[in-house]
Amino acid sequence: MSIVLETRKLTKQFGGLTAVNSVDLAVPEKSIFSVIGPNGAGKTTFYNCITGFYSPDAGEIIFDGKSLLGLTPDKITYRGIARTYQNIRLFSNMTAIENIMVGFHSQMHSNLAEAILHTPRLKREEKEALEEGRRLLQFVGLSGLGDHLARNLPYGAQRRLEVARALASNPKLLLLDEPTAGMNPHESSDMMHFIRQLRDELGITILMIEHDMRVVMGVSEQIAVLDYGSKIAEGTPLEIQGNPMVIEAYLGRGAASGLQNIAEKSV
Amino acid sequence: MKAYLKNAATAGIIFGIITTFLFLINFIGTAADLIGDITKSRPGSSILGLSAVMFNQLIFLGLIGIWAGARGSRKDSRLEDTWKHVLIGGALAGAVHGLIAGSLAFLVGSLNTAGVKINEYLSQILPEVIRIFLLNKTPLQGALFYLVFMTLMGMLGGLFGRGVLRSTWRKNIGARRKELWNSLTHHEKVLKIRANPLTRYVVYGLLLLFVFLMPLQIGQYWNYTVGTIGIYVLLGLGLNIVVGMAGLLDLGYVAFFAIGAYSVALLTAPTPHNLQWSFWLVLPIGIILASLTGILLGIPVLRMRGDYLAIVTLGFGEIIRILSKSVLLTPFSGGPKGVFNVGAPTLFGKPFNSDVNFVWLITLGCLLVIFVTNRLQNSRVGRAWEAMREDETVAQAMGINTLTHKLMAFAIGAAFAGLGGILFASRNQFTGPEDHSLMVSINVLSLVIVGGMGSIPGVIAGAFVLKGLPEILRQLENYRVLFFGVLLVVMMVIRPEGLIPGSRQKLELQHTDKSQAPPDTADASEGSSPS
Amino acid sequence: MGIHNAVKNIKSISAYQVIQFVIGALFIGYILWRLNEILRVNPIYGPDTWMRFAIAGLILGSVYALIAIGYTLVYGILFMINFAHGEIMMIGAFGGYFVFEALNAIPTPTAADPELTFLSAQPVISVLLAFIVGMSVSALSGYFLEKIAYRPLRSAPRLVPLISAIGASIFLQNAGQLLFGAQRRDYLNPEVLTRGNGWEFPVGEGTVILPYTGALTFVLSFLILIGLFTLVQRTRLGRAMRAVAENKPVAALMGVDVDGVISRTFIISGAMAGAAGVMWGIHLGLVYYFVGFIPGIKAFTAAVLGGIGNIPGAMLGGFFLGIVEAIGPPILGLSFQLKDVIAFGILVLVLIFRPTGIMGEVLTEEKV
Repeated sequence: MSIVLETRKLTKQFGGLTAVNSVDLAVPEKSIFSVIGPNGAGKTTFYNCITGFYSPDAGEIIFDGKSLLGLTPDKITYRGIARTYQNIRLFSNMTAIENIMVGFHSQMHSNLAEAILHTPRLKREEKEALEEGRRLLQFVGLSGLGDHLARNLPYGAQRRLEVARALASNPKLLLLDEPTAGMNPHESSDMMHFIRQLRDELGITILMIEHDMRVVMGVSEQIAVLDYGSKIAEGTPLEIQGNPMVIEAYLGRGAASGLQNIAEKSV
Repeated sequence: MKAYLKNAATAGIIFGIITTFLFLINFIGTAADLIGDITKSRPGSSILGLSAVMFNQLIFLGLIGIWAGARGSRKDSRLEDTWKHVLIGGALAGAVHGLIAGSLAFLVGSLNTAGVKINEYLSQILPEVIRIFLLNKTPLQGALFYLVFMTLMGMLGGLFGRGVLRSTWRKNIGARRKELWNSLTHHEKVLKIRANPLTRYVVYGLLLLFVFLMPLQIGQYWNYTVGTIGIYVLLGLGLNIVVGMAGLLDLGYVAFFAIGAYSVALLTAPTPHNLQWSFWLVLPIGIILASLTGILLGIPVLRMRGDYLAIVTLGFGEIIRILSKSVLLTPFSGGPKGVFNVGAPTLFGKPFNSDVNFVWLITLGCLLVIFVTNRLQNSRVGRAWEAMREDETVAQAMGINTLTHKLMAFAIGAAFAGLGGILFASRNQFTGPEDHSLMVSINVLSLVIVGGMGSIPGVIAGAFVLKGLPEILRQLENYRVLFFGVLLVVMMVIRPEGLIPGSRQKLELQHTDKSQAPPDTADASEGSSPS
Repeated sequence: MGIHNAVKNIKSISAYQVIQFVIGALFIGYILWRLNEILRVNPIYGPDTWMRFAIAGLILGSVYALIAIGYTLVYGILFMINFAHGEIMMIGAFGGYFVFEALNAIPTPTAADPELTFLSAQPVISVLLAFIVGMSVSALSGYFLEKIAYRPLRSAPRLVPLISAIGASIFLQNAGQLLFGAQRRDYLNPEVLTRGNGWEFPVGEGTVILPYTGALTFVLSFLILIGLFTLVQRTRLGRAMRAVAENKPVAALMGVDVDGVISRTFIISGAMAGAAGVMWGIHLGLVYYFVGFIPGIKAFTAAVLGGIGNIPGAMLGGFFLGIVEAIGPPILGLSFQLKDVIAFGILVLVLIFRPTGIMGEVLTEEKV
């Protein structure tokens, strides 16, 4: 399996605080890869570096064999990375299907003049985008809700709409930021199935930040653990569960057995 | 103190302050004149021993008094809506209101009799205004009169509130009216007619015919007014793209209007450059110049956050105005006096010289702009603008190059404003620095917001309300801008989406009949329990 | 490795940075050339004139600083531009004006001067009264402004309160015009504070006058600024204000009355604008309905220059802007008619180079 995303010695500092400290990571193609760590461990900063919102102070990010450094977020989207957000960020005053069609932005080509003149190419493109959008709605289980304003959708539907919007940009790599935050166990397990479905049916590589250990252990193939900005461990779910450094990072010294219990229950 | 009494006293104080303010800006006198015009009462006539002006003034004050009483006796969840409470509450609100109004009458009356020239400080309060306010009586009599009058009006207001505003029969009528309306609009035949595409063409055709014929009938003054409204529709639709769709608060929008106006003025007028180019040649030049300026201004400022952008664009608008009237540029721009004899278009050798021609031209411009706006709204670019307005960071993460799209919005908005400026200067045959004051930007912003951001019919309605109504109510001219200010605040507090909010088109289900495919809500609500 | 990094850095320079650099270089080059021109090649002004400009600038700057702090305080807490702040200043200026007019109507004849009025007989009390009244009406206006126009919009999108503020600004301006008329009024000072009178210093070949009104303005605003600084840093209210600015929900959980703190912030910033208004009247001598608008925008510029939300920054920004306005036109070779253009131009330039202001810390984008 080839490596789709690789970071080498990635570092990001804010003032005196090193939020991401020399992190090496290699995400294999078509894998489900989780990044975990306690609050403030630098996970979201790590994401923001990959998607181009922060420019790292040192290190290298290589996606699909090419460096991402110096690219703006919109260019990175064109390269094939899409993401969702920890606190859902939909375009709340647009309808669900319009949200998805914004997601198609990078796949479409019409410009200002074509929009005013309504050229045949534009008409065709719009029609295709609309159809594709309907298909995506169906894929995430939201068909029929497409004309509702995003902010009026139920919470779970908003999460899935956010994924659909990300999928619309036809990504090779999808970054999920706490996809099950705020969900009950039933919804979480739905989401786990959905994540697997994304990988299996669409062949997308998934990089995921998650706090819910049940989800992490249940769905990931590879896990990296961040603490105070540094990677302290990496491995399969089983390896991570048994790693004393991880347990220490989460719960402090001496609490290893607690996490062990949680982890056992989840598997 | 009992809650309903407190409520009444508060209402009395608030209305007392409002009445005082309205008196001090002499709105009361103006309103009396307006009522006189509406009721066609002759100024010299007398009713109930009062001159017509005083009587009309009392009508206006009485209405405020009734309103105060109705508010003062308002029911809320904690209070009982009994007749006794309503009467006492209304009376108390009225009494407090009357006490304030009476004190005001006494104060200004006494100062006036003492020989103080009040209008030296409060410019609207002429001795005549005071005399009318006091109904020709002594200050003390006037004060007592208002105390009694407002108390009575307050009680009346209380009864009105209980008996009309909050009564059960009124609710029933409202419900029945709604039912009737629904049965009419959702009648099978009506739906069928509405679904027929022919209906739309017929309606558009009739509208077009009306727009074509109307200017021939309404005379010069109204044609001028309609033309002005049309130009504000143009400006409003342009700003609507910048503010309503792309979410960029531009307070210097008038700068682009000025560039359009000055380009047509300087290129077609005999002074100061005597170029005298053809209007049709200048039209594209002016539009392109305006839009280029939009881009040039945009490159540095569009990276700023929303509220910084507002101030910087405001500053830019002022810079353009100050420069246009500065000594430095007078030889180039005509200076503070402006440019006269701006050229008008000619068509097949016939010059546009009547306002009728310009109304047609402006209408044509509006139609063009509406067409363009409509096309843009439902395109990739339009969606990108709206996405930026909603959440710029996420929009960028969707692959939208935010800077280019902001520049596009700025350029298109500026082009519309440039067109507006060209038509404005050409119709007025003049342009000068005072045509391009900050007030123009504020007017346009107000009409976009009042009408409904992001909504084409909203902008048109806003232009008619804000530019048309003041022409009809000419007496209120002095209070127009004040009213804009109040309207902006009130709209933001009560109805931030505007008079006619933009509606979203139905995309997912546009080809399927809705009744056959009900939204599959069960599927969605299953995954819905935010913690 | 070093070369490699350098190449990468060059690659990441955008066209925008090039434009920034070119504009900056042109601007600095022009200023250096002009400085050389007017100081060495063709010195049009002697040191006394420069001194006069500097004094005028410092005095004006102290007024801007007072107004600018109002913007900064409100912005720090609500993240909104209180667009109507300039109008609050106008209200204060009118407050002081009416106090002076009223006191001038009280005759206190003495043997030496039968025409003497209370205003000139008791200048200290008069000025004190003018400041108290001016600051009070402005504080009150600020309080009600927040309560009516901003509080209902606390949770609305950012554009909404800004538009409401613009509406409030238009309303207050026009209310001022309708109430007091459109004409410019002369601010009647106590006789001691007649404009133009002052201490004279010999500088170079000429003399420089430090006007009494200017000294009063400068000293008073300095005292107020120190008072405010102490208030924010040392008192319970100041601590609460900082807490609310930092995080409203958490402050509320800690028992801070958030609405109360916001109200008091508006009262404080209103009072400072009122003081600035009275100073404006006493020192510059004119008051009319539009008097607050341009100083308001300039003070906002000052607040942005200093990094909005940053109190010492706003003070420095105010002084900086005052001085630039006084010595900018001669340095740039423009007429004083264009001094407003310079102020706006500086605003645009600063925001191009440092969108967070000169002293503003570079805010990290809130969690993306």
